[in-house]
Amino acid sequence: MGAMSRKEKGLWYLGALFIVLYALLPVAWIVSLSFKAESDLANRSFLPTNATGENYSGIFSGDGAELFLPALRNSVIVCLVATVIAVVLAMFAAYAIARLDFPGKRLVLTSALAVAVFPVITMVTPLFNLWRQIGLYDTIPGLVIPYLALTLPISIWTMSAFFRGIPWDMEQAAQVDGATSWQAFRKVIVPLAAPGVFTTAIIAFFIAWNDFVFGISLTSTSRAQPVPAALSSFTGSSYFVQPTGAISAAAVIVTIPVVLLALVFQRRIVAGLTNGAVKG
Amino acid sequence: MAGHWRTRVGTVSVGLLLASTLGACGSGSASTGTPTLNWYINPDNGGQATIAAACSEASNGAYTIETSILPSQAAAQREQLMRRLAGNDTSIDLMSLDPVFVPETSEAGFLAEIPADLQQRLSDGVVDGAVQAATWKGRLVAAPFWANTQLLWYRKSVAQAAGLDMTKPVTWQQLIDAAKAQDTAIGVQGTRAESMTVWVNALIASAGGEVIENPEAKGPDIRLGLDSDAGRAAAQVMEQITAAGVAGPGIDNRDESATANLFQQDGADFMVNWPFVYAQAKSAAEGGTMDAAVFEDYGWTTYPEVVAGTPSAPPLGGIDIGVSAFSEHRAEAFEAVQCIVSQENQAAYMLSDGNPAALTAVYDDPAVQADFPMAETIRQSLEQAAPRPQTAYYNEVSQGIQDRWQPVSEVTGSTPAASGEFIGQVLRGEKLL
Amino acid sequence: MSSTTTARAGATAAGPGGRKGKVRATDRARAEARLGWYLAGPAFVILVGVTGYPILQALYESLFSFRLTAPADREFIGLRNYGVILTDSLWWSAMGNTVLITVVTVAVELVIGFALAMVMHKVLGWLRPVVRTAILVPYAVITVVSAYAWQYAFGLTTGFMNAVLPFVGADFDWFANKWTALTVICLSEIWKTTPFISLLLLAGLAQVPDDMLEAAKVDGATARERLFRVTLPNMKASIMVALLFRALDAFRIFDNVYIMTKGAAGTETLSALAYNQTISRLEIGLGSAVSVLLFLCVLVICFIAIKVFGVDLARARGES
Repeated sequence: MGAMSRKEKGLWYLGALFIVLYALLPVAWIVSLSFKAESDLANRSFLPTNATGENYSGIFSGDGAELFLPALRNSVIVCLVATVIAVVLAMFAAYAIARLDFPGKRLVLTSALAVAVFPVITMVTPLFNLWRQIGLYDTIPGLVIPYLALTLPISIWTMSAFFRGIPWDMEQAAQVDGATSWQAFRKVIVPLAAPGVFTTAIIAFFIAWNDFVFGISLTSTSRAQPVPAALSSFTGSSYFVQPTGAISAAAVIVTIPVVLLALVFQRRIVAGLTNGAVKG
Repeated sequence: MAGHWRTRVGTVSVGLLLASTLGACGSGSASTGTPTLNWYINPDNGGQATIAAACSEASNGAYTIETSILPSQAAAQREQLMRRLAGNDTSIDLMSLDPVFVPETSEAGFLAEIPADLQQRLSDGVVDGAVQAATWKGRLVAAPFWANTQLLWYRKSVAQAAGLDMTKPVTWQQLIDAAKAQDTAIGVQGTRAESMTVWVNALIASAGGEVIENPEAKGPDIRLGLDSDAGRAAAQVMEQITAAGVAGPGIDNRDESATANLFQQDGADFMVNWPFVYAQAKSAAEGGTMDAAVFEDYGWTTYPEVVAGTPSAPPLGGIDIGVSAFSEHRAEAFEAVQCIVSQENQAAYMLSDGNPAALTAVYDDPAVQADFPMAETIRQSLEQAAPRPQTAYYNEVSQGIQDRWQPVSEVTGSTPAASGEFIGQVLRGEKLL
Repeated sequence: MSSTTTARAGATAAGPGGRKGKVRATDRARAEARLGWYLAGPAFVILVGVTGYPILQALYESLFSFRLTAPADREFIGLRNYGVILTDSLWWSAMGNTVLITVVTVAVELVIGFALAMVMHKVLGWLRPVVRTAILVPYAVITVVSAYAWQYAFGLTTGFMNAVLPFVGADFDWFANKWTALTVICLSEIWKTTPFISLLLLAGLAQVPDDMLEAAKVDGATARERLFRVTLPNMKASIMVALLFRALDAFRIFDNVYIMTKGAAGTETLSALAYNQTISRLEIGLGSAVSVLLFLCVLVICFIAIKVFGVDLARARGES
């Protein structure tokens, strides 16, 4: 690879520039929209004529606040709780898969696979029916539970892959020193596995944050409605006015945390996604 | 084995504990002293929340009203409410209902019956169409709160240039000819949404027909009036708009808001739309984003006729207040309803949110007349207006109409018959929607 | 304890100890199996619970004519819902759209994703983290946000695309026509999910042995030959996995359609169809039948991928 000609190198750099443009243009567009005044939204150009913060003040303190702020709170709570539960459960499962030999190991992995490809919409109706009978409809736990179906499978794979890469001799050494399997797991493996667990948590959080189907189907008010669902029920300054500006501003706000995570933990996330997914 | 069992029980109880603490986060609200009434409202400019606070205050501690906001689209509001009510959810006491979904809500037994004397009081002085729309099987089942209607908006200069006499009712045909002659467009709503049904229904009703002949029937027994002379007259208006090329750009995705913008930006010099367009234009003119002269040029009259000489049947919208059958505070809820729909609150709401009142007396209010120069036209339009089909299967009927009458450019003389057949099949469970 | 006893014990262990060792091994194996299930059990129970229950319930409900707002009219009708759906042109047009979106997006994403992966693989120095961070942005952005961004970009009043693109007029309405609407839907889907594919392919690229590429180069193979003869064949496993996962994901497409068109202009997909029957119309029976059929479609795709194309998921998932 060291033997790259100057021309070749230039070409790859051009490619890199293209990637950056590709990735950032649509995001830049929605940011630009969010700074357009209501009368400026139809200016048909990429940039606002005069940038204004009115859309942001609208969703944080104006008419939209009543809808947006609770939704933001719900999203944060639901996604964090779902991520934590999924990562903890997946951590145990992944340890068992990577380290232990037990009948049904393949079954666990296969069912994780099956759940990952399961059409989400199929889950919605029966869950909706069950939830309204047992009072989980439009509640935080009513969203956390189905979110586990989204976050658990990928957590199990990603972490199994990480755990396989851990030097297990150290665990065996600990066991020889008299520690039980459990102690070996806790004292030796947990610190080694922490980066993998952390990466998995970020990926699981991304997936939970992205959900839309459960959000619009299993909630109905600001009691539990997450942001993506709230976005689609935003309203303009009057009943018939399109809430383009407010939606754009809210979209930018919900994009900030995930983009920050991506920026800060880029290396880990790339490693997590590639490790967990393909390993020959 | 006992050890295993204990561990397993431990795991389960931890899970339950987790679920129950999480559950505790979700619910909440104290239940001491004054009952709290939950009012599920459609999104507005905050007028309903103001009324809720005012009525709570006026009740002297008899009740407190809290509001929860529903989605913006009427169909989505229905989804949310029906899903909750089907679960016998006691957390709903009051709800702002789009009149088109009143029959379904009532038929399913989700609306508390209004006492007879109160039925009388809630319909006294209310415009006729609004009372009709809140009535199901001969009884008033929800309280009319505000009533909306569409007017014909025009640029005075263009109407004059076209030689139209706007002091008299005009017909669709006259509008089409005028728009063609002046090389402009008529702003109609052609997107696949409720506004499509609004238009189709108004055209059919204006031609003397009705979309459903036996509205109280069960789904499979419903007889549709689409395949009729009135239905074909409605289709003909759309065909002519397409043929004359006066539909304007983007008709297939144009909703009320896009129509208002088109009219504001000179893309169309005639339009049928709700009165919100006036308030919007006014604030744009005051804010400097729109030429004040253009705003001065705004004219209005009642909805166009389909048959010359036969008064049109303008679209009717609005909001009714229903009391949930599962409310644990029914008496207080009915008290609150009377407060919400009082003349004072209706007038205040019209001024704050621009939504026309259901009580005719409000239109005599000097403050209302000052803010709404077209108040008299709105009242007249409301008296003439025809509700959309009142059926417990409204969603199917409306979606079916939207499915077959959109895009407008593909409407032909056979559309009424085809849509009637399609909706019939959907109602009999023979087709997907 | 005397040394003789120790020696004797040692002798016994070494003598007929084969049996005793085996007993210990099975004990250990049993303990390990128990621990394995303790650890993996909770996750497994949740996985099965949140999907197994719904699919069984949906199967049951699909045999009824049941409308949520008319519970008294609930009626057992056997397989009639399935008959209605499978003879309805709407189902088949939704199926056609879904398959089209799946094929187009996955094909385009494979090509772009591979190009992106090559760039990420080759670019070195300070640009490397920049490129890898940039590519994570679309991955992290919510699908709904992506849908709005693309919808507004192509929208008639809000958009700038009509002004930029040379081949359409200013008044061109992208969402009025089935094919143009599907194009924008696909664009949003492709933008959002290509990074995922390219990261999977990047992992595959890293596994192509450098010495093999060097050897090919020494043998005088052109860049093109090296790509098709060495790189791609060595990446077959990761390409197949990326393909299967994206295909199944694309097949469930809902968010983009719901936000952009709500199924208007003939852009209905299978997930949107199921949503419309159950959540919008509250026709639980009919909607459940659509859901079950959608599930069967996914099963069929999996079956074809694994049996016909031989996608080795066990290998891909890192199981040994």
